[in-house]
Amino acid sequence: MVDQVHKEFRKRDLLYSGALWLLSLIIPDPQLHYRREYQLRRRDLFYLLTILLLPLIWNDAHFHHLMVLAGIHGILALGLTLFLGYAGQISLGHAAFFGIGSYTTAILTTRYDISSFLAFWASGLTASFFAYLIGRPILKLKGYFLALATLGFGEIFLVLVRESPHLTGGVIGIFDIPFFSIAGFIFDTYLRQYYLIWGVLIGLVLFSKNLIRSKMGRAFLAVAASEDGASAVGIDVNGIKLGVFVMGAAFAGLAGSLFASVMSTANPDIFSLNLSVLIVMMVILGGMGNLYGPIAGAVFLTWLIDGLSRYQEYSLPIYGVILILLLIFFPDGIGTRLRVRLIYLISYWGRKRRREKVEL
Amino acid sequence: MFVPARRSAFRHAGEVGEPIIKDYMDTWNIIPQLLISGITFGAIYALVGLGFVTIARASQIINFAQGEFVMLGGMVTFFLLKTIPLPYPLAALSAILIVVLIGFLLHLLVIYPLRKATLPILLMATLGASLFLSSSSALLFGTLPKALPPFSGSGPFEIGKVSVSPQSLWVLVATLLVLLSLYLLSHRTLLGKAMEASSTDALGADLSGISRHLMIFLAFGVSAGIGSIAGIFITPIFYVSYHSGTLIGLKGFIAAVLGGWGKHGGAILGGFVLGVTESLSVAFIPSGYKDAIAFIILLLILYLRPKGILGSPFIDSRRW
Amino acid sequence: MIFLSVEEIVKNYDGVGALNRISLQVRKGTVKGLMGPNGAGKSTLFHLISGMERPDSGRIRFKEREITGLRSHEISRLGVGRTFQTLQVWGNMTVVENVLTGMHTRIKGDLLSSGLYLPWIKKSEETAMKEAKEILERLGLFGRWKWFASQLSYGEQRRLEIARALAAKPELLLLDEPAAGLTYPEAKQLAETFSRLKESGFTLLLIEHHMGMVMEIADEVAVLNNGELLAEGPPDVVKNDPGVIEAYMIRK
Repeated sequence: MVDQVHKEFRKRDLLYSGALWLLSLIIPDPQLHYRREYQLRRRDLFYLLTILLLPLIWNDAHFHHLMVLAGIHGILALGLTLFLGYAGQISLGHAAFFGIGSYTTAILTTRYDISSFLAFWASGLTASFFAYLIGRPILKLKGYFLALATLGFGEIFLVLVRESPHLTGGVIGIFDIPFFSIAGFIFDTYLRQYYLIWGVLIGLVLFSKNLIRSKMGRAFLAVAASEDGASAVGIDVNGIKLGVFVMGAAFAGLAGSLFASVMSTANPDIFSLNLSVLIVMMVILGGMGNLYGPIAGAVFLTWLIDGLSRYQEYSLPIYGVILILLLIFFPDGIGTRLRVRLIYLISYWGRKRRREKVEL
Repeated sequence: MFVPARRSAFRHAGEVGEPIIKDYMDTWNIIPQLLISGITFGAIYALVGLGFVTIARASQIINFAQGEFVMLGGMVTFFLLKTIPLPYPLAALSAILIVVLIGFLLHLLVIYPLRKATLPILLMATLGASLFLSSSSALLFGTLPKALPPFSGSGPFEIGKVSVSPQSLWVLVATLLVLLSLYLLSHRTLLGKAMEASSTDALGADLSGISRHLMIFLAFGVSAGIGSIAGIFITPIFYVSYHSGTLIGLKGFIAAVLGGWGKHGGAILGGFVLGVTESLSVAFIPSGYKDAIAFIILLLILYLRPKGILGSPFIDSRRW
Repeated sequence: MIFLSVEEIVKNYDGVGALNRISLQVRKGTVKGLMGPNGAGKSTLFHLISGMERPDSGRIRFKEREITGLRSHEISRLGVGRTFQTLQVWGNMTVVENVLTGMHTRIKGDLLSSGLYLPWIKKSEETAMKEAKEILERLGLFGRWKWFASQLSYGEQRRLEIARALAAKPELLLLDEPAAGLTYPEAKQLAETFSRLKESGFTLLLIEHHMGMVMEIADEVAVLNNGELLAEGPPDVVKNDPGVIEAYMIRK
């Protein structure tokens, strides 16, 4: 009798722990820091395989196109999460660096016939150069004022783009940017672009992972938690902030370059405040201080916007409401909250069942 | 396609209105005219800035939906005046009430549930609210820009070579009245003191029996009221459309920072400085760059003197 | 040899004098206690020495080198470590990471090479990790090395802050009320740690209200009151100074 009950329990526990294991495979850890995020784990392999196989399994042009956009958003969010999620500084001007990258590629490839591979690197460099120039004066600000200053930079960028038509094509923008190509291989289908974008994204994730596990990552977190404490152990707080700002801008510049040579167009409407807000949303919904979360957030929000677009004029109010609801219910990221809740629920069911059994 | 297409909140910024300037060929001749329009603009920025300051004095929150109150004030009045033909004063008054109600709702539905949230989340939530308000106003009232009839008189009168519309004077009077009543509220009543207390030290205020959330709630109502008053007073001069709120809101915020964050007088001074500078800049640089001026001023003031012209009680000088 | 010398320091906050022409010297290898009632200007003096704030006039020299006006991380890199009166441990990191961050300047790496995790970065990180664990062991926190700093008790956080300051290998350590809020046994333990540090050649400047602790480990004591230097000398002499007794009696 006792044996039987015992056996039954074991089966059930297996079920719950199986669910937990599956969950831990898919949803990132809420307490990602020290041991977790450093080594490549089984979960990473799972992600990698999903990314590689998904477009082959789900062979649909619209899906591929959407995932290309999501990947570009993912690069943007990855750059911002270093700045916002790790170093704790807020920027509402990230779209401007994206724009700078896009226009650099657009101008270099259409006017000067430079190969898109070179233009890709040049875009990252240009974006980080501008980030250095703008970051030096404004990064002494904090909180709302930093947000406002970066927002102001974004707006100035837009005005400059619109008012210099000979360089940027003004309001109309630049068209017919050649597709990205390496050594004669042209990325002209959505599937090829998918692998290009997500390949770059994986590279940048590995780079960020290394950054986070080294002394620079610790310095970011230290600056976010206590600037006085950081400077007391010899961390150059302003230098770190500037460095991570420039790094985020470089990521955005690379993303912009890819965007230009994948979409073949660059125009100022794309790089407005809305995009900056969207990137910040991706980071918040993905969870602060987390590398995979913002990418998941990017995929989620890209899908959400695409899904909403069928409601036409109602899409914007709905979008606004969804954003607010997400912020209210998942302030520390969807993944983090969901995981905590689910784990709690599953273990609660488990405990409840057991309690009932014992009472019988 | 890429981002929900609230495309051109900033592109059509000029549409908030450039007052009709007579065709003087000589740059120096139009300067008095620009000055007048700059002062009108300045008064609007000042009113919007006062809205920001009211909330900041109660909670340190910055409500990026402030500009939408202005837009809604104009829009709702227009709607009440034209669709349900109400008399003008009644329409204006009910518009103010409706917008105040929206302000209260904004606090109850967005800010209060996020009372424990960190800064970026609050920031995003108010931006989301701003997006919601502007896009639903486009849905309800249509996307066409709208203008109200002026309060009194019809044509502008001339002082020397400069034409002044009576509505500009109305705007100035409104600014003055709002400033006066805010000053009285915060310096002469216990409620004002309580608001200030809950802003400077939230926990301390709680411990001394001031309900912090009630203060913020009231502040949202007051600032929505100020915003809608600004909207009603300016809509006769400038066309207001659903997406003009964001830019007006940002410029009002810049005005408040420029003058001295958290000070009523600062918002007024900053508003006029910003309005006049922006307006005069048209004489010297292409008008397309006009919107960049405000942000360049912002970057300069934040870099050189983040406390603003008059100094700010909320910004610690040692740490900046 | 005079290690740290503060000369005629003046600091005002919006017209209110916090420090008025203070001069102090700390010799190498000694422990100097800094005492005084609340608001006497002790913490302000620490802020000035560590570069968090700038003096209105006067000079600060460390190892014969003028450090007045340097930024705080530069001063820290010269070998001045400090702890804070209000705890500044990084709760978003684990205990061992806190200590590793303390070694920031001694670990190799910059944005690019750390991102690529080049071989020498890896080596440097590994040796640092070994050393960090040794430091934690010395301060009795080794059992907690994987915990988040925010999960530690108050006393442990205090010790962690000291561990972090030690990790930077400072030559001079400024300790701002390290025993504040600790229970008696914890404070006792801390005092033992300090005497061990002193034996191993550290120079300490210590703000403390625990009379017992100061008398036990300090070689010299300075007493501040209202921004003025009230008395300076060996503990026994200062303890019986009538001015000091008066200041403490009235203020407390």
